[in-house]
Amino acid sequence: MIVVMKQDATVSEIGAVIAKVQELGLHPHPIYGEMRTVVAIVGEERVINPEVFEVMPGVERIMPVLHPFKLASRDSKPEPSIISLNGLRIGGRQLILMAGPCSVESRSQLLETAHAVKEAGAHILRGGAFKPRTSPYSFQGLGEKGLELLAEAREETGLPIVTEVMTPETVQLVARYADILQVGARNMQNYGLLHAVGESQKPVLLKRGMMSTIEELLMSAEYIMSHGNYRVILCERGIRTFERATRFTFDLNAIPVIKQLSHLPVIADPSHGTGRWELVNPMARAAVAAGADGLIIEVHPRPEEALSDGPQALKPEKFAQLVRDVRRVAEAVDRTL
Amino acid sequence: MIIVMRSGATAQQVAAVVRRVESMGFRAHLSEGEERTIIGVIGDERPIDPGIFELMEGVERTVPILRPFKLASRDFHPQDSVFSINGVTIGGKKLCIMAGPCAVESRQQILEVAHAVKEAGAHVLRGGAFKPRTSPYSFQGLGLRGLELLAEAREETGLPVVTEVMAPEAVSMVARYADILQIGTRNMQNFALLQAVGQVNKPVLLKRGMMSTIEELLMAAEYILANGNSRVILCERGIRTFEKYTRNTLDINAIPAIKQLTHLPVIADPSQGTGKWDLVVPVSRACIAAGADGLIIEVHPNPEEALSDQAQQIRPEVFAKLMEDLRALAGPLGREL
Repeated sequence: MIVVMKQDATVSEIGAVIAKVQELGLHPHPIYGEMRTVVAIVGEERVINPEVFEVMPGVERIMPVLHPFKLASRDSKPEPSIISLNGLRIGGRQLILMAGPCSVESRSQLLETAHAVKEAGAHILRGGAFKPRTSPYSFQGLGEKGLELLAEAREETGLPIVTEVMTPETVQLVARYADILQVGARNMQNYGLLHAVGESQKPVLLKRGMMSTIEELLMSAEYIMSHGNYRVILCERGIRTFERATRFTFDLNAIPVIKQLSHLPVIADPSHGTGRWELVNPMARAAVAAGADGLIIEVHPRPEEALSDGPQALKPEKFAQLVRDVRRVAEAVDRTL
Repeated sequence: MIIVMRSGATAQQVAAVVRRVESMGFRAHLSEGEERTIIGVIGDERPIDPGIFELMEGVERTVPILRPFKLASRDFHPQDSVFSINGVTIGGKKLCIMAGPCAVESRQQILEVAHAVKEAGAHVLRGGAFKPRTSPYSFQGLGLRGLELLAEAREETGLPVVTEVMAPEAVSMVARYADILQIGTRNMQNFALLQAVGQVNKPVLLKRGMMSTIEELLMAAEYILANGNSRVILCERGIRTFEKYTRNTLDINAIPAIKQLTHLPVIADPSQGTGKWDLVVPVSRACIAAGADGLIIEVHPNPEEALSDQAQQIRPEVFAKLMEDLRALAGPLGREL
């Protein structure tokens, strides 16, 4: 951490900062420049609250040097993390495709979709049983009945299941059925929930909050990991900007950035990232070309009848086309599918 | 245009709006719903200012139906526009790669880069002679001398030149040297400049404003087209968001979204779009995978000594590697390079 002193800071103000650093058990390293003085703090700065210095007289501002995340950081683990699940290696050379409906709506809808995405080449079945909807009047999901249907679809197809958990108290329930617990964009900073999934044995798919920075996403991963669960998969799913031609602005810059900063696998969600089915295929290819370890795609047998997110769902035949198109891109960037 | 009346609008207020619509030479189509009445305005609504209706009593809001751009729209011109610039085609199956330094700094620098990017396979040489810099104390470009050096680099390498023009009165001078006139992001809505480049017989590279929507970009293109210049290339170069880890957020969604709306070629600028040289390669691949017709890339022989944009310029050898990666990707996407 660097403490930048004001231009007119007095010798005694600088001395007080140095004394404070020592009092905290860290090493001060003052640098006296021509225009102003800065005090570099050497030691584990993550444990210090920068406000301790910001309130001191003569201090202009504080600049952190280390990233605030540690377990999630590539500095602490240079090689990529690979999460093994039912024979799949998430984060390895092979891309992982998660696909399925936004919501589990009925037995026939889910089974039909599950068979179709499996046949097209998907590795994991997605489907929401608990749905966080903007409007309290919208379909909220089938709840535990939805989880039972997901388990049935897994029995029939052999595909592992990823599904969202919305509250800490339902983590155990959802974990009984799901192979991967999803923390949705709206819950990325629900710390009680992050704590709870951190104590579970199941891998966690952590989606980036639509108004969250990359650093905030990695801090949320840090919460899960600091509770003992190291199997975290990150997901870029679009952020809120002024552009309204698409539902969100899909931040594909974030994919190589996150891979530089973290060893955790990163997948992308072009369904939410665009909000428009006809943009899903090109943006799926783009995400893989940018280095994503996988994709999560919404597929519905009849999007016009979907109870949620119909405009961004692909029909099964469009999904099969997407898999073929993405496979060619994967080979060109030295991945497999 | 649809005019939505307030739920308590009186029959008199509705009749007044209908009279107004008809007096302007349009037909009014009334739909009386259970909660409120809406009035459809039938005819080419683009010249009408919706404010005319919004200030009338009983009107809640107006909803445009037609896109406000016409010459730029795919409805008007369904097939892709392809044009040729000194033997280089843009907008067709073949990708067009523009590369070169952010700014022309010296004869040696521009010639060295020009030869290097040509050898790696670039089609167009970029280089700024007039530089719009945030700070008035930063290097502002070599001006006319820079244009002369660009012309010399073209002589030597045969590469056409793209360079920025910043003021309407400089258009004829820049057009004497440049093969493509660039309108920078900060000038996307400099309407006098758009008008001026609309009246010259040179293609225009129009960059998206960093705080502009896709629709505003297409309206800026419409200005150029409406002034008689049909050769406009659009460029996505990143927008301003809350994410500060990257210089801008490259809106790759915009590439397929713009291609649906317009027939004009669309290229992407991953150098500005990320602001970090080590993100340029993966993000370039993503842009091509998303359907971009080309790229514009900043290349400098010694980025650490560059007079502008040091952090985002790549070395010639990184550019050569990028071209190899793009060649591997172009084929599977049905493109050529």
